[in-house]
Parts: sequence; structure tokens; C-alpha cells
Amino acid sequence: MIEPGQHNHDGGPWEKLRSRLRAAREIYEGIYVAPYRSAIHREYLEQRDVFFLLAFGDMIGVPNPVAFYTLELYPQLIAQFHEWHIRLGMPSSPEGGFRCC
Amino acid sequence: MKRLPDKQLLFFGGKGGVGKTTLAAAFAVRSADLDRRTLLVSTDAAHSTSDVLELELGPEPRMVVDGFWAMEIDPTHEADSYIDDVKRSIGDSAPPRLIDEVNKQIDAARVSPGAEEAALFDRFSRIIESATSQYDRIVFDTAPTGQTLRLLSLPELMTAWITGLVSNRKKVNALGRMWRNVAGAAAGDVSAEEDPVLAALEDRRSRFQRARRILTDARRAAFVFVVVPERLPILETQRAVAVLSKYGIPIEGVFVNRVLPPDAAGRFLERRRIRESQYLRMAEDALSEYSLHRIPLLEEDVVGVAALRRLLSISEG
Repeated sequence: MIEPGQHNHDGGPWEKLRSRLRAAREIYEGIYVAPYRSAIHREYLEQRDVFFLLAFGDMIGVPNPVAFYTLELYPQLIAQFHEWHIRLGMPSSPEGGFRCC
Repeated sequence: MKRLPDKQLLFFGGKGGVGKTTLAAAFAVRSADLDRRTLLVSTDAAHSTSDVLELELGPEPRMVVDGFWAMEIDPTHEADSYIDDVKRSIGDSAPPRLIDEVNKQIDAARVSPGAEEAALFDRFSRIIESATSQYDRIVFDTAPTGQTLRLLSLPELMTAWITGLVSNRKKVNALGRMWRNVAGAAAGDVSAEEDPVLAALEDRRSRFQRARRILTDARRAAFVFVVVPERLPILETQRAVAVLSKYGIPIEGVFVNRVLPPDAAGRFLERRRIRESQYLRMAEDALSEYSLHRIPLLEEDVVGVAALRRLLSISEG
């Protein structure tokens, strides 16, 4: 591997090759990966919602035996918590739960 | 009484009012007298240990006599300090405009059912993990049966739930990585770093598992029941023994407390003794798997270290 700066002239053969590889990769992704992208994103958000339901379900009335212990996770999840209740169809935070907005 | 169970962790349980606190304290004193560094821990919110030792005890160990420390875990105090920790870390990570509102909501969680129980268990599991390196023996004076059985069954119930959370969180993280790989910059805030939420959950889970491992290790821990020769305490203990066995918690023996001494005389006491002998037989039948030790009813109250020592020496006759 050539160190950057060593032979990294504009338009040099390495840089040309690299940009062509990049372009090829983008084409590949466009053809093969793009159709899955939205599916992966949806799956990711869905699983994240399941996690919130398991961890903070008590706030929307679903019993959670470890509610007291998941409270300590809340500081790290405050931003995602907001997205969660929006996706649940609640414009503001669930009643009785944390009001983050 | 001569056969003091030689376990690192000893739990004294039984129906309310049978003398758990007194016997646990007497054992702890005896243990310290035998040169074992001993810690007596009361998990009962009623906090009679202070009264028995005639000493103001708090949530940190206090030395009573040489080699003997005692403390009282207060669920209210534990829940408060846990909530304070959560609030502190929210102060570091939440947007300042939300902090007041978030704190209000956390205070609401503080008074939710189960909060104090969870906080008590948290402290309890920390003690059995860390104090075992500082003390040769820890004697627990537990709350009356129902609460204690619940406390000891918590690791199993909660491990299952936390395990579900851990595996779900791993799935979320794996999907987050996939999403980042395909979305690149569009993935936005999906972090590539170590997930602190997963780390906290795994930490929680391993603490539950360690607590459960210690509690069910017959070489290290044992439960001792205290009854009095009466019907209800014996029946309750019989049920408790069955529950503990179900959770794999070893049981070492049963103390029958306040047995009428032979020199107690008079017509009333003679009649009472006939009744009592029926209950002693009942206890022997109901708890036949365990060795029963009798502790006599004394003329005087058992208060203070000297009286606790006397109680055991009288029992050994």
C-alpha cells in the first residue's frame, strides 16, 4: 500500500484507480444494496422499538419487573426515547412516563 | 447450638416475632468470639437489630465489639441513593432545558411499586459479593418470611427479563451496524462505538447471576429458620422451606425458640408444657429433614452483647 502523500499526486495513477474503484462500488451498491437499505433501516427501527417496549414498557402501562433497573439506562437513551414515542404515534411523551418534549 | 453452621453467609428467617433478630445477633456475637470477622446485616425495615444491640446502626457497617460489625439496610435510603445516581448521570447527558422535567419523572418512578424492593436487592447483592472478601462471615437478619422469599427469588425472575433485554439489545446493535454499513453518512447518529446500554445491562445481569450462584452454593451459604413452639410459625416455616428448596437455596437447620425451661413450674405452665410438647412434635414432623435446636425461654430480656452471649451458653447447658 502506498502511503498517502507519497505518490498521491492529483490525477496520479493510484488516485485514478481509487476513484474508479469508488465509482464501481457505488454502482454495485446502487444495484444490489439500495433495495435492502430501507428494509434494514425499518428492521433496525423496529427492533429498537421492541427494546424500548421491553425496557420502558411500564411507562405506557405494560408491566416490567425490572423497571427500576432500566431507569439507569434512561440517561443514555433520552434522544432515542423521544423518537420512540413519536413513532408510537404519541406526539408528546406518554403520560406518567418521562416527558422529554 | 454447638454446631454453628460453618458457612460464610448465614440467613436467619422465619415468621415475624419468633426471635430472628435476637438469634441472628447471638450467632454473630458467637462467631466473632470464635475469631471470625463477622458482619451482621439486617434487611428488615423494622430495624430491631439496633434495639437488640442497644446501638444506633446505619447503612454502613459499624463495629459493635472487636471483630463484630453490624449494619441495617434501609430500603428507603437505598432507593433514594439509586435515584440520586440516575439523576446525576442524567445531569451529564440530558439537554439542560429538559433536566427539571426529567427529574420530576424520575421522582415519580421512585415511588412506583417494587422500587424499594429492587433497591434493597441491589444493595443485598453488592454485600454478598464484596463483603465476603472483608469478613469471614456475614449473618443476615432477614425480614419476615414473605418478603425474604420474594427477595431471594428475585435473581431468577430478573435474570430472565434482563437476558431478554440483552439479546434484544445485541440484535439492535447488529442491525445498527448493518444500517451504518449500507447507509454511510445517512445513518446519522447511529454510533459505531461500544454500546453503554448493553454494557450496563450485561453488568446488571452478571450481578444477578453471581448473587444467585452464591445463594445456591451450599458450601458458602445456608438458611436457618427460627420458629417458636406454636402452630402458625411452624406451618409458615414448612411452606417457606418448600419455596427455598425450589429455588435451590440450602437450608441448614431450625431453631425452636422460647421453649419452656424444665424448671418452669406451676399448674398453668405444666398445662402449657403439654401443649408445647405437641407443637415440638409437630415441628419435628414438619421439618424432619433438618436438625432442630431448642432455645429456652428466659426470664429476662435479651438485650446487649453480654445477654446475647449468655443466651447461647444457657442453650448449650
